[in-house]
Amino acid sequence: MKRWFSILVLLLLVVFTLTACGNETATTEAPTAAPTKAPTEEPTKEAPDVDFAVMPGGFLEKALTGEYAGTTVTVDGAMEGNDPDGVKFDRGVAAFEEATGIDVNYIGNKEFEATISVRVDAGDAPDIADFPQPGKVTQYVQKGVVVDVTSWMSEEWLSQQYNQSWRDMATINGVEAGVFHRFNGKSLVWYPKDDWEAAGYAIPTTWDELMALNQQIADDGDTPWCIGIESGAATGWAATDWTEEMMLRTTSLENYDAWVAGTLPFDSPEVKNAIETWSALWFNDDYVFGGRSSIVSTYFGDSPAPMFEEPPKCWMHKQGNFITGFFPEGAKAGVDYGFFYFPPVDEAYGKPFLVAGDVMVMFNDRPEVKALMEYFTVPQSASGFLEGGGALAAHQTATPDMYGMDMERGIAELVAKATSFRFDGSDLMPGEVGAGSFWEQISSYVAGSIDLDTAVKEIDASWPRP
Amino acid sequence: MSGTTRKRFGKFVVNFSLFLLILIWTVPTLGILVSSFRHRDAIATSGWWNVLPHREWQPVREIDPKAEGFDPDSVMEIEGATGTFEEFREGIESPDGKHRITWIGNKRIGRVEVQEQVWTVDWNFSLDNYKQVWGGQDFEFTKADGTVEIVPGDDMSRAFLNSLAVAIPSTVIPILIAAFAAYGFAWMRFPGRRGMFTMIVALLAIPLQIALVPILRDYKTLELNGTFLAIWLAHTGFGLSLATYLLYNFISGLPREMLESAFIDGASHFTVFTWLILPLSVPALASFAIFQFLWVWNDYLVALVFLGGNPEFELVTQRMAAIVGARGQDWHLLTAGAFISMALPLLVFFLLQRFFVRGLLAGSIKG
Repeated sequence: MKRWFSILVLLLLVVFTLTACGNETATTEAPTAAPTKAPTEEPTKEAPDVDFAVMPGGFLEKALTGEYAGTTVTVDGAMEGNDPDGVKFDRGVAAFEEATGIDVNYIGNKEFEATISVRVDAGDAPDIADFPQPGKVTQYVQKGVVVDVTSWMSEEWLSQQYNQSWRDMATINGVEAGVFHRFNGKSLVWYPKDDWEAAGYAIPTTWDELMALNQQIADDGDTPWCIGIESGAATGWAATDWTEEMMLRTTSLENYDAWVAGTLPFDSPEVKNAIETWSALWFNDDYVFGGRSSIVSTYFGDSPAPMFEEPPKCWMHKQGNFITGFFPEGAKAGVDYGFFYFPPVDEAYGKPFLVAGDVMVMFNDRPEVKALMEYFTVPQSASGFLEGGGALAAHQTATPDMYGMDMERGIAELVAKATSFRFDGSDLMPGEVGAGSFWEQISSYVAGSIDLDTAVKEIDASWPRP
Repeated sequence: MSGTTRKRFGKFVVNFSLFLLILIWTVPTLGILVSSFRHRDAIATSGWWNVLPHREWQPVREIDPKAEGFDPDSVMEIEGATGTFEEFREGIESPDGKHRITWIGNKRIGRVEVQEQVWTVDWNFSLDNYKQVWGGQDFEFTKADGTVEIVPGDDMSRAFLNSLAVAIPSTVIPILIAAFAAYGFAWMRFPGRRGMFTMIVALLAIPLQIALVPILRDYKTLELNGTFLAIWLAHTGFGLSLATYLLYNFISGLPREMLESAFIDGASHFTVFTWLILPLSVPALASFAIFQFLWVWNDYLVALVFLGGNPEFELVTQRMAAIVGARGQDWHLLTAGAFISMALPLLVFFLLQRFFVRGLLAGSIKG
């Protein structure tokens, strides 16, 4: 018996090692075959006709003559090669790869924020990193490992491609650390369009109209809002969005910027007023589906679901445009759901718009990397998102006719009508606050376990001071 | 109570509590298995236990409150039941006790349903989740001129092959090295033996995360980043201390007389190792192989750091993280994903299972 076993296991080991060798050769062949393909393509000496704008005298212009064909540029980010965003990104850079012969190698993963610091510390930084939170770039600017885009891109070109606000948001410690690529609009309220029209509700354009509508829906026997802020370790981020919306709507942009920079404390009348403005709505059990107590325990992605029941159990949901990915299968934009601009509270502060987006930051200074960075400054680099939905192009040269999806086009038009826009403040704050105490304390406040004064004091105390 | 009935009763208690424990342990897995065959919207709106027979209120008849002229702001009488709007929203039982009258929706576009409680099962199963996980999602792009292009996603076979190519050598290499090392520590006398062995045991307590940056830096100089060799070596290093310790415990417990007689017959260390030790330690080798294989198969972090630089080498774990989407909107796919990624480790486990049990017991019953 024993001998049998040993023979069997030895055999197994042999088979194992054999398959291992087989796999090794089989799988290592694939990647080596790919890069050798690129150089064999005849580099065309004349610049091909491309349907995107090219910065005069830049590296992209040279790249189009095939000068850097066969080289590879790696981009690291938070999208995965096979998730929808990764596929859309690849589609956006396909035109660049085809026209220049430069291979763009996107190596994203979900743990990007953790792995990027390991990579940079080990001296293995990617050529370009795609940061969804510009606040995280600060540490790399301080270390001096980021290449300033103004060192080779002309002022004229950048100001032609971007609204000044986007450039300001990418500027850290006086260094223009990167260029924005895609973005999400957050100041949107979603509603069940067909039922909404059947019930005869009107879209509110002012805060008073919105509050009147809240009461009307409550009087009709339903709860107007669906709100959920549960998100695992990130529970509370949806509440920070509401705080930012209210900061933009109840106080000046200077105060918003000061708040984000840490000079206006959370424990100030402005910030507390902003939080209290949304609290008045959230903590009214007639206004929120499930009541206040269910807000913290409802997953943000599941929270809009009652809106799609027939008939709806709630009628409004405020969230960025990515929330459509969570809507039930088969729900059609423009039929089952629509969106409107989250109305201003105080008309004196205009029509602000809250956004969040990805900034492309360059680590390795090589001509082909610069060429790709230049390509990111044109809206065609985000074409996968414009045609596949899910995000908008941050470039002011992006025209409505570039959008294939009516919904994204509609959002882009809303953004264009905004009088001002600001980046999601919690993403710009230091990680300890923006991705830590702000989430935790605001969740405790919503759950009712601490009062507002304690919450804001705790957040202020956690702000890292040198 | 006679002895046999007492014995029988005792047996029943043991069996019953075992059965109960097994049930508690398997219910979550069963829930995931059932969910993996349900539709996305069904998973989001109702629990998997709805596949079991249960009683549910279902509409028999609908009444249009507007046509009937009900005034929801006052007390209403519908089908013999009286109550306010709020009470009807909760549902009021009809006087005959067989039906329930419920107002669905709000006062503006609501309807009234006469409902009856019926036994029902929710057996609307599909293979969609498995198809999407294995075959990849299709992507739709609408160009500015309105033409729609559908781009099919990648299937998962490459991720499976990659995971195998990582897991098999990462299991075999540490076993080979550790078996030699364990033999050396157990049966060879050399200076510093104790010290070195203590060091290896101490290494068990060190978390691998602290080694990531230094190793990555070395790999960068050696240009090993993003290759299979890099991850084999990393897993070998991280697994070696446990492997050596486990195998040492087993090999040092083998009967001394047997080895001594082999040496007297003129066998060298190598002969003893290959002809005596290896065949005898099969249970220990196999049980460690299972541990290591499962650990490498399920590993996400190490693969991400050392192999993440190369998207060609996407592993099953990375694939699983990707299928939920950028913001987790497709989390329902994880149900099917869990079973697909579980298939191979389960196969390995069942194939090597009897060695596993013997390995656990090894040494405990020898006289």
